[in-house]
Amino acid sequence: MATVEELQKRIQRLEDIKQIERLQRIYGYYRDYEEWDKVVDLFSDNAESVEVADHGVYKGKEGIRRYFIDLIKGGKDAKPRIGYMSIAMQIQGVVTVDPDGVNAKGRWYGFLAEARPTLSLHEGELRQLWAHGIYENEYVKENGKWLFKKLHFFLNFRTPYEDGWLKTPVVGHNGPSTEVPPDAPPTSFFPYPSGVHLPVHFKHPITGK
Amino acid sequence: MNVEELEKQVQLQEDIQEIEHLQRKYGYYFDNNMWAEIVDLFSDNAESVEIVDHGVFYGKKGVRRIYWDMFSGGGQPRQSPPWMQFIVMQIGGVVDISPDGTRANGRWQTWLCEAKPYGAYPRQEWLHGYYENKYVKEDGKWRFSLLHWNNTFCTPFEEGWLKMPLMGWMPLPDAEAPPTAFHPYPYFIYNVPYHYKHPITGE
Amino acid sequence: MNLEELEKQLTRLEDIQEIENLQKMYGYYFDNAMYQKVIDLFSENTESVEVTDHGVFRGKEGVNRMYAGMVGMPRPGWMFFEVMQSQGVIDIAPDGKTARGRWYTPSFECRPFGGTKKQTWQFGVYDNEYIKENGKWYFKKLHWNLTYWTSFERGFLKVPKLSDTPFPHADAPATAYHPYPSGYHVPYPFKHPVTGK
Repeated sequence: MATVEELQKRIQRLEDIKQIERLQRIYGYYRDYEEWDKVVDLFSDNAESVEVADHGVYKGKEGIRRYFIDLIKGGKDAKPRIGYMSIAMQIQGVVTVDPDGVNAKGRWYGFLAEARPTLSLHEGELRQLWAHGIYENEYVKENGKWLFKKLHFFLNFRTPYEDGWLKTPVVGHNGPSTEVPPDAPPTSFFPYPSGVHLPVHFKHPITGK
Repeated sequence: MNVEELEKQVQLQEDIQEIEHLQRKYGYYFDNNMWAEIVDLFSDNAESVEIVDHGVFYGKKGVRRIYWDMFSGGGQPRQSPPWMQFIVMQIGGVVDISPDGTRANGRWQTWLCEAKPYGAYPRQEWLHGYYENKYVKEDGKWRFSLLHWNNTFCTPFEEGWLKMPLMGWMPLPDAEAPPTAFHPYPYFIYNVPYHYKHPITGE
Repeated sequence: MNLEELEKQLTRLEDIQEIENLQKMYGYYFDNAMYQKVIDLFSENTESVEVTDHGVFRGKEGVNRMYAGMVGMPRPGWMFFEVMQSQGVIDIAPDGKTARGRWYTPSFECRPFGGTKKQTWQFGVYDNEYIKENGKWYFKKLHWNLTYWTSFERGFLKVPKLSDTPFPHADAPATAYHPYPSGYHVPYPFKHPVTGK
């Protein structure tokens, strides 16, 4: 029979997984309503980086702020564009908490329905798109709360609604911004149909490999 | 509540968590063509695998036949072209554990984006399907005991499920039995049976 | 931590799991036209049901009226709904008796529209309330906000909604019907996980 200490540890682990799932899903909800300040506040002050599609790597909490506020939002006073929509559904989370209970990893699918420009991040007519990609993220627990340490979204496809991934796998991939440049070039932009699969972070539940 | 009762409940929550993860990992392995890893998610006493109308494959032997021999070409280096892709998004699982904590059932929805050859042509498709799966706990770990994926529709991206609900039939030649339940939209008003009772009425 | 505190913590985890299940089962029953089973998921003390612009239906009696027209009605084989319940974020009140949940529902559908059969994509956001009675969780208030309802052929940018769909027998008109591209934000039931605001 387990001791109270052991039970406490086990409950804590269950709690951690639920908290991280919650963190990731709330990230999705804030992101979809373009609440970029709230998104930045989900990251640790010691966050490592954010890398999305072919935008490049933005390092540290400062880089993360630059990415979400200066680049994605378009500046801290920028107003949302009428008709813009980007819903990134956060699906199929597998969260692995380290034995120390302080670090964790999570793999998620992002499936997107978007109405946005593809000429650049902010310019051009709105187009309707379907997109899919994979998150392999890292989380850290500080003062009893889980936060993002690293967010990495590996783009699979971003296709016009009218075409489909087979016909037009990627649109709107304009590379790193020159106005709000990243700290490092993209490390893994291999969209469909490259055949490149983003490796899973988790060990096999049975074989342990 | 005493420690023993508390432990039982902690165990139940852990079991549900582990099975949700098992199912989701299956999805990630499938999409990444990691067929050996999938075979290893099944119990050595696995009952069967039934996917769409491929037919029924019995036992661990059957699991190996469908995932390793057929989908993986016997473990050869990847033969399928890079544009061939399966994304099977695992959504909304309801997991129920048996009172003795050794068996479980799970119902999931799946939303799929596929690109695969059909006839001579590469085609892109939307699919939807339900899982009603069974799991078993052996040596403290949960594994698949029975996998059953029911296809709702498999439609070309260009057409849609109303115009063309099913692109074609795909029975696999080496299946041991024909499919037990292949009722895609809209040919039958078929509801994939639930494993669980109604949470309120208990029916 | 003592046993009592552990028990409390565990109960909260179990509550979240059970509510997630309740919501997903709602989805599965709804998709399979098992409307009586859907009605049975609601508390006898239900506040209301509000789905897109159908209007507000009050009380358990309102739940019956809202879904009753559909109970036992045979559905033609070509008509279907796959409303996928995803991305649930559940908040349990400190007293452990009520809860709120936010969900996304991407959907595939095929239903009658005008005189024709139409294949449609739909997307919506749930802002729901749940209540624990006799140790079980029930729906207390269901509110489904429509984001888009578009034809497969056109897409959400070209046709964000096919039409309005008010139900004449509602108790009150819809309180919040603001589909895309209104820019409406369905209020969050949760506080920011880090700043607490």
